[in-house]
Amino acid sequence: MNGAMRTATAWIGGAALLVGLTYVLGGYGLDIYRKLLLTATLALSYNFMFGFAGQIALSHYTFYGIGAYSVTILMTQAGWSLPLAALATIGISAVVALAVAIPANRLEGFYLALATLALAQIFIVALVQGGEFTGGADGIFGFKSPEIFGIPLSGTNFVIALIGLFLGTLAVLQFLGRSYFGRACRAIRDNPRAAAAMGINVARTNIIVFTLTSSLAAIAGIFYAFADRFVNPYVFGIEPMFLLVFMVIVGGTGRHAGAIVGATVLFLLPEFLGDIVGRRYILIYGLLVVLALMFQPNGLIGLYDQLRHRLARRP
Amino acid sequence: MTDAFELLMSIGEAASIYALVALSYMLVLRPTGIINFAVGEWALLGAFLSVSTVVTLKLPYPLAVLLVLAGVGAIAWLTERLTIRPMVERAAPLMTLILLMLAVDIVYREAAVWGYGTANHFAPMPFGSGRVEFGPFGGSTQSLVVIAATVLVFAATWYFFERTVQGKAFEAVAIDRTVASLMGINLARVTALSFFAAGAVAGLAGMLQAPLTTASYLMGLPLTIKGFSAMVIGGAGRVEGAVLGGLVLAASERLVLRYAPVPSAFAIAIPLLLLIIFLLVRPTGILKAKGAA
Amino acid sequence: MSALLEVRNLTKRFGGLVAVEDLSFDLNAGEILAIIGPNGAGKTTTFNLISGSLKANAGRVVLGGIDITGLPPHKIAGHGIMRTFQHNMPFVSMTVIENVLVGSHRMMRTPWPALMAGSGMAEDRSARVRAQELLAFVGLPDYADRSVGELSFGQGRLLETARALAGRPSMIMFDEPAAGLTPVECQRLAQVIRDIAAQGIAVLLIEHDMNFLLPLAHRVVVLNFGRKIADALPATIAMDAAVIAAYLGTARRKRARAG
Repeated sequence: MNGAMRTATAWIGGAALLVGLTYVLGGYGLDIYRKLLLTATLALSYNFMFGFAGQIALSHYTFYGIGAYSVTILMTQAGWSLPLAALATIGISAVVALAVAIPANRLEGFYLALATLALAQIFIVALVQGGEFTGGADGIFGFKSPEIFGIPLSGTNFVIALIGLFLGTLAVLQFLGRSYFGRACRAIRDNPRAAAAMGINVARTNIIVFTLTSSLAAIAGIFYAFADRFVNPYVFGIEPMFLLVFMVIVGGTGRHAGAIVGATVLFLLPEFLGDIVGRRYILIYGLLVVLALMFQPNGLIGLYDQLRHRLARRP
Repeated sequence: MTDAFELLMSIGEAASIYALVALSYMLVLRPTGIINFAVGEWALLGAFLSVSTVVTLKLPYPLAVLLVLAGVGAIAWLTERLTIRPMVERAAPLMTLILLMLAVDIVYREAAVWGYGTANHFAPMPFGSGRVEFGPFGGSTQSLVVIAATVLVFAATWYFFERTVQGKAFEAVAIDRTVASLMGINLARVTALSFFAAGAVAGLAGMLQAPLTTASYLMGLPLTIKGFSAMVIGGAGRVEGAVLGGLVLAASERLVLRYAPVPSAFAIAIPLLLLIIFLLVRPTGILKAKGAA
Repeated sequence: MSALLEVRNLTKRFGGLVAVEDLSFDLNAGEILAIIGPNGAGKTTTFNLISGSLKANAGRVVLGGIDITGLPPHKIAGHGIMRTFQHNMPFVSMTVIENVLVGSHRMMRTPWPALMAGSGMAEDRSARVRAQELLAFVGLPDYADRSVGELSFGQGRLLETARALAGRPSMIMFDEPAAGLTPVECQRLAQVIRDIAAQGIAVLLIEHDMNFLLPLAHRVVVLNFGRKIADALPATIAMDAAVIAAYLGTARRKRARAG
């Protein structure tokens, strides 16, 4: 079986597994699965900006929120249909992302992190103070699930759609990552001066990456709105954002598999450890990140690679 | 007239806290280039430690202050020794150090939650919650305490940098690490001391803040953001920048709250907006560093 | 016939200090030109003015008839001038061949939105084939999938060269290429540079090492205090009194003062 066939098999197999899980899980399990798919999707797009291109931005959940709120407001308050609202939402988030990316491009490291952190805070304040328009601190809830060609997008159908979102995001980012554009991103992360000497327009590339990944987060946000049919400001706050950073670091920055593994492990662990550990799982995660940064910068996926290497060497 | 004075006191009190936090940032930033995400949490630890020493253990206030300063300073020093120092020795990139401080920041906060829970802890004012009046002027005692303590700290800092040999060594490291080490200055010692001092200063800020707003596990992040804003606005190159930045920030906040027709919740957005504006327009801040072009 | 690169009246001041003054020279396709001079003569400044890291106060740089004065580094590279770095600046998270592939960035034509849908694979494949050829050309044929950390400094220099060639440049600039290399490595690099010029690519080098550049360069430009004091064949330069004075001048003056 040659390379292309192997990749195709992996994709089909993976998709089948994900779909199969949908029908096996019930009730609470399905709810977790839904959230996990969304989180993994966010981790993928965040990892591209953070791990591949080296931009420490803390606005990913903000764009997730812009996506969720825009589509909700357009559908419930302006009465638009789903396709129209979704398209408009993507447009809005792309414009906002550009407006942030262009000035932010001049900032680096901590400065970018803090400027985007400030933006995230302002977003929450704006939502909470938005009165009737945004539903204030309570959010907007109880709206109907949309229908695609007459099939309601709820329950297992919705999860299938989420699987599509996840795989679609993965495909797009994989193609991009393996292309010359992905190499340019990594070159910029490693050494911006040398990258420019190779003909790479650093500013333009950074802006494209920020805008693209933030728009992908907004698209995930559109799906999120229909997960619980409820949008609330605090879902899009700083805590989940920090957790996303942790997921990407612990899983292994710069690798799509790392983002998926990190998201899965860190999202599911509290579910299983739940009552024993309570809130303290955040403390454990913080420590894990410190350990990862100091001793295992390639994260869990790096550990897996090392293991595979060692096993392969055995006769 | 009294009203204006009240406003000034209120601004002075807030400016003091921000200036202390900004100073804490600078004490680490200048010799090492590291921007310390964990500053707000150091203040938080200071606040909680002050509750433990003053409320739980009922220690006399001066002793409590010393314990808080030493305690948070020690925690900061330990963090540097255990996490930052080994990474710097391995020539880790700046991004990794920044992320490390972010993770450590979360660890501090969650450790505080483990010890103290998520409820707000009441911290009493050391000189009572009364007011001090001189003729037509008056302000709350705590405001006075905060401002006085801050003035003391900045005076001591100024003296240290301008008049002592160790202070000059510190400046030398801030200007050029390589040259400083070639001149025989012990870089590791300077870094360790600067972390200790930064921790102590931030801890003091938290201790002064606690009686005003209670000690809460959420108090760290706003201080991290506001302290950073104050430093950026005032200019990170000079200690005076912390004071100026604190004043500008506090004045903007209080004046907008008082006179602008926006709901009070928007007050949080003011330091954020100022920060974004300054980062884009004038990242070096109002005051330029000494000897800068 | 006009030269590939025409530098005319290039001037750069830093405050009161004139680093480069009224510098003019030509570089032809397939020619190896070395710029030499004592420390502080303005060699690095000239290099940076051409590569786009610095903006000139006056003068012009024209490549193949196009005025490239004052363009930023990535645009200069886009016009076909590639460069190496004195201290080697590989992309450390990538393999050797990926480093070379980054060099071919300016040749890639697929627009990035199309990349998201998976097109551009053919272009990538042929770039990869060419990158492997370039690695063989510089003498690193078996290192494609190794990490850059495994290369010695001299090998790193060869990688810099392969990476610069990947962009199909009309001109390559070498920043002190012999610095840090063993004599054997110098020989290897000199041969590579000769092979590059033989293909019609113009080569500009800044260099201190006379043993390296005198047998290699077709022509030498000598700078002193920011001005050109000579522009001739290597053999002529080696004998030129003015050049020798420039290099030895300070030593003689010092001895005179001490004596």
